Formats: sequence, C-alpha cells, structure tokens
Amino acid sequence: MNAFAHGLKRNGPAWLIVGPFAIVLAFPFYWMVITAFKETTNLYDLTKFPFWWSGGLPQTTANVSDLFHHTDYVKWLENTAFVGVVVVAITLVLAMPAGYALARLSGRWGQGMGVGIFLTYLVPPTLLFLPLSRVVSTLHLHDSLWSLVLVYPSFTVPFATWLLMGFFKTIPQELEDAAMMDGCSRIKALTRVVFPISLPGILTVVIFSFSLVVNEFVYAITFISSSSNRMLSVGVPTELIRGDLVLWGAIMAATLIPAIPLALLYNAFLNRFIAGFTGGAFR
Amino acid sequence: MAEEHDEIQQTTKGELSRRELLKRAGLGAAVLGVSGSAGASKAFAFAGPHRYTGRYLKNELKIMQWVHFVPDYDKWLDSTYIVQWGQKNDTQVIMDHVNNTELPARAAAEIAAQSGHDLFQFLSPPSAYQNQTIPLDDAVQEVTKKRGKMTGVAYRSTYNPRTKHYFGFPDNYVPDPVVWRHDLWNDVGESPATWDHVLKASSKLKNGGHPIGIGMSNELDSNMANFAIMLCFGSQIQNADGQIVINSKQTRDYLNFMKSLYQQGLTNEIFGWNPASNNQFLISGKGSMILNAVSATRTPEDLKLPFSDDLWIWPIPKGPGGRMGLEHVMGVYVIWKFSKQKQLAKKFLIDQQLAYRDHFVQSKFYNFPGWLNGVPGGFKTIRKLTAADQHKPKGKYSILSTIAERYTTNAGHPGFSNAAIGEIFDTFLIPQMAAEVAQGKLSAADAAKQADKQFKTILKKWKDRKLV
Repeated sequence: MNAFAHGLKRNGPAWLIVGPFAIVLAFPFYWMVITAFKETTNLYDLTKFPFWWSGGLPQTTANVSDLFHHTDYVKWLENTAFVGVVVVAITLVLAMPAGYALARLSGRWGQGMGVGIFLTYLVPPTLLFLPLSRVVSTLHLHDSLWSLVLVYPSFTVPFATWLLMGFFKTIPQELEDAAMMDGCSRIKALTRVVFPISLPGILTVVIFSFSLVVNEFVYAITFISSSSNRMLSVGVPTELIRGDLVLWGAIMAATLIPAIPLALLYNAFLNRFIAGFTGGAFR
Repeated sequence: MAEEHDEIQQTTKGELSRRELLKRAGLGAAVLGVSGSAGASKAFAFAGPHRYTGRYLKNELKIMQWVHFVPDYDKWLDSTYIVQWGQKNDTQVIMDHVNNTELPARAAAEIAAQSGHDLFQFLSPPSAYQNQTIPLDDAVQEVTKKRGKMTGVAYRSTYNPRTKHYFGFPDNYVPDPVVWRHDLWNDVGESPATWDHVLKASSKLKNGGHPIGIGMSNELDSNMANFAIMLCFGSQIQNADGQIVINSKQTRDYLNFMKSLYQQGLTNEIFGWNPASNNQFLISGKGSMILNAVSATRTPEDLKLPFSDDLWIWPIPKGPGGRMGLEHVMGVYVIWKFSKQKQLAKKFLIDQQLAYRDHFVQSKFYNFPGWLNGVPGGFKTIRKLTAADQHKPKGKYSILSTIAERYTTNAGHPGFSNAAIGEIFDTFLIPQMAAEVAQGKLSAADAAKQADKQFKTILKKWKDRKLV
C-alpha cells in the first residue's frame, strides 16, 4: 500500500497530464473501430448510445466485407505501398547527400541554398498541379502510378533534405576526419561512419516521407483516373462517398486497416524517432 | 545504450536482431514491388484493351463524370450500358468517376495538360470553358430530329446566343423538390405550401428538435436552394436580355426572408453545409425539410429507415414572386478540343439520349432527359413510370413530372446560363450573400448593392472576352 501511495505520489502528476492527452489522441481510433463494425441504420439512429455497439457486441462485418469484395481497396493499398516505397527510396538517395553537403557547406551560400530548398517545399500542390499536369501529359504518364513517383519527390526531397541537414550538423566533423585519417575516402567515411550514426534521422525521413505520400490528395486525384490505379487517399473518399450517401462504416474500416501496421511501426521505433526529431535541435 | 548494444550483438541463437529484421523486410518489400511491376497488372504497366467475346475492340473512348448520387445508376452504367454500347460500336469505353466537388479541379488539370478524357460531364453549365470545347450543334440537331424539342432548361443551359452555338450537350437535368417529413409537419399543423408557411412552421419544428436544413455555404446544394428561393421572391440576377438586375426590392425581400428563416428555424450547421449535408441531415432523423433531388428519399428507402414512408415530395413552396425552382443538377457533357475521338464522343452522346428511358429508370427517376421526348412519350410516360413506384406513400414520385415540367428552370433565369452566371454560380456568390445577411454582417440593402457591383464587373469581363 505504501509502495502504491509512493508510486502515485511520484507518477500521479505525470499521469494526470498524459492520461487525458492519451484519451484524446486514442479516441479517433476507438471511434474508427466502433463505427467500422456498426450497422448503417444504427449509425444514423440518434437515440442509440453512440460510443458502443447496440447490444454490446460488434454488429456486422459487412462494412469490411464490402470493402474487400465490392471496391478496389486491396489495389489501393498495393498502389499506396508501391508508390510510398519507391518515393521513399528516391527521397533517401537524393536527400541524404544533399543534406550532408548543406550541413558541411558553411557560410552564406550553404545557408542560402538550405533556405532555398526548404522554400520549394512551401509551394502548395494546389498551385503546382496545373503546370505539373502538363509535364505528366508530355511524358505520357497520365493515369499511371509513375506520374506520382515522378511528382511526389518534389515535396518529399526538400523536406527530407532540410531535416537531414539539421541532423548531420549534430555529427562532429572530427569523426569523419578520424575515419579519413584511418584511410577512408570521404564516401567511405560517409557510408561507414556518418550514415550509420544518422539512422534515427534517416528513419524519421522514411516514416515522414511515407506519411506525406499516403496523405497526399491533390496530385493523386489529378493524375490518376481509373479506380484500380487509385491511391488510398483518393479511393476512399471517391468510392466510399457515393454522392449524398456516405458509407461511414466502410470509410472507418478503410482507414483503420492501414493505421494498425503504421501505428505498430511507429511504436517499434519510437525511441529512434524521438532521437531523429530532436537530433537537429541541439548542437 | 543497452538497447543499441543488443542490436549490435551478433545473434547466436538463430534469433533475428531488429536490424536483421529490417534488412529482410526491406528485401521482401523490394521483391514484392518488382514482381508487382513485372506482373504487368493494370496499376504498374500498360495493359491493352480488354477482350470481349474473343476480339479486341478497335477504338477507345474516355469519359469522366461524377460519382452519381444514386449509386445503383453507376453500377448499371459501368457494368451494363457502356459495355453494350462499346460492343456495338467496337469501342472500349473507359468510364472514370470522381466526386462532384473534384470535377472543376480535374477539368482545369485536363485543360492545362491538353489531354485527358474525350467526354467530360459537368454538373452545371460549364460556360467558362467555351474556348476549350467544340460546338455540339450537330449532335443536338441529330437528337432533335429524332426526339423533337429540347426542354427549356436544357436549351438555356447550353446555348450561347452570342456565339450561336451549343457549347455543351444537355444530357440531363434533375428536378429539385422540397423533401419534408410529413409526420413532423403534421405535429405542428403546417405544410410547406408557401415560404410563409415554412417560416411559420420553422420555429415550432426547431423547438421540437427538428429544424429545417437549407444551406448557405460554398457548395452545390446551397447554390441551388438559394437561386431557387430568390426566384420564388421574384428576385433575378439578370433579366431576359442578360442585364444585371440583382439590386431590387425582391432581392432585399429574399435576403430578409433568409435572415428570418435562419433566426427562427435553421441552425449554424447551414453555414458549413456540403453536398452530402442535406441527406445526412434528413437520414439522421433530425431534419424536417430540405430542398434536394430524390436521392434524399431513395437513400432512406434503401436503408429502410423507419420514417422513410413519411418523407413527402412537393414542388418548391410558393413565394411572393411565384413558384419556381432550379434544376438540382444540370448534367452537361463537353468534348474538349484536344479529344482524339470527337465523332465517337458525339455518337455516344446521341445514342445515350436516344436510350434515355433506361437511364431515367436506372437512376431511379433522378436523371430527367434533356429533350422533352428523351423518354419517348415525354412527361406523360414519365408520369406513368413514376406513379408505378411502390414506395409509400404510393405514387409520391409522380409529382416529379409536374416539378420538372412546370417548376424547374436554369441558373440565370429568365436569361441564359452564360459565362457570367457560371462564374457567379461557381464562386457561390449567392449563398455567400445570403449568409452575410443572415449572420448580420451586412444589411439586405448593402448586400444587394454590393452584389450588383460585383456581378456587373463579372459580366463586363465575359463580354470583353466575347462569350456573353
């Protein structure tokens, strides 16, 4: 009892702050689960208690079943995963050397270029989609996932470069110098010393670039026409909101399914992400 | 620190370290990605035209249109109609759908790229795009030869008297009745016969927990409702000659009415209305009245909601200026100048209109044909078809033919839906004006004056471009 009281005294204030915060953050997931397994008629019945299943048990799996049997949902997942993986790979290939170069280029030019690269990230897709339509059309990539692979790095690379630049700045130059004194070339020093130490930053770039790709809407709806080529972000609102009829159950199931592995992935690498985020914060 | 040490340690017992797991997962993902590409599935590689009964179809026709408010219509259209038409015409028809709110952005992208779909359907007259589309006079004439006169609403929505061309093909229009809960209105002893009755009943309905839902937001339904109510008050944006006449006593009356209606019988939700709000409001059991096409009654019927039999359909309530509603949707197809299949696209439009009885029935009486005899027999046949609907109260859909015939007009009535009207419509200036007055930001007089100035500037712009 004394130990409990002691624990409460020590951790109580922290729980008091974290508890409500966790409830607020977890609530959308809870709502997704409840709604995904509710009958449609029950969803619209305002007399029913909204935060649980009427009758105490999940009412139906029809929403999930509809998703897999009457839409191209699996295809949307595949497409999103494919574009996400390729774009992340391109982003890493371009942003890692760029971030490193900017971190080591001291002086006005380096800083100016860094700011310049970041500014390109701030140009919204709602402005860029019209000229990019022309590019996509010229390259005959319309209604092809490669159009997205071409366009998405335009916003993932600047963001990733900026993030990695901050991270590389925290790595002491002396480490590279020592490696080179031991006989490494600069490239070897990079691949054997700098990049392995930067893993938390690189992982952060991976997850953030992937999230940006998954969430992107404007390019995905503009450059892709057919249902089977759609990304998740477009397939769900286009095919599960049928005019006036919003298929809430299916929408919640469709968003819940990819959220689960992503949440597990985040959780597995939580410490590294925190290191990645805060890596550039201190020098 | 200890965690990192664990990872660096060699695994000696056949266990996977986290790093090893990542490596293998990465390799697996790469293999899957490559095999997916190599599989030449539709998503990753070009696949040739589909095979129908042992042959490849010669042509390809790409069509873009909305996700229909009656989902069953799209099912039939995509899996039956276009397949059969394609087989007859040796053409692979590719039908793509996007939500109605995404159509303008999609059209803008296709114009910028000068490539995309051969046929593009808009839900309101796309008069601003006239320089990007080909005139469809010959397709219109072909249908007129076989089906007779076009409806007035279709004519004024697609004909440009300045250029003397049809810039679009008026495939269909959708009557916009008032949909109301008979049981709730009965409880307060009223019916929505006139806007006066609506105002009187609104506070009672709201107090009973069942407000009225008429949007004043930047979206299609709010546009339609407000354009229509304006007409019922005798207020017009332009006269028959295309001159701006918005600054009138009738407009002030309409705006003051909307303010009173908001204060007495609407809720704040109407300022954030979207195209699905009407239906959701009604389906939730909360709403007592909306202005919406029949998708609002079809969905509760399909969901077998307990009050679906109490949903009645009437013509728009009468106002001091009469009874006149707007089309809820004006389905206008255009053929872009860059289309490679112009003749085939025209043939598709003509054939579709000549077969409109099926489209009318499959859309559950949502799509009305652009031509008076688009459904052979005209409104007489339409009345018979709608009267045969078995949903309760039986015969409730037969009123649709009266609404379509007598109380449905185009945006810009009594003039044409020209490019200036198109811009006023597309930028939602009318519901915005109503919202500003309802919220007390502007007086009705100031709002009407401001609109007059703004609309005249818009009209001048389009006159300078020689489209009005």
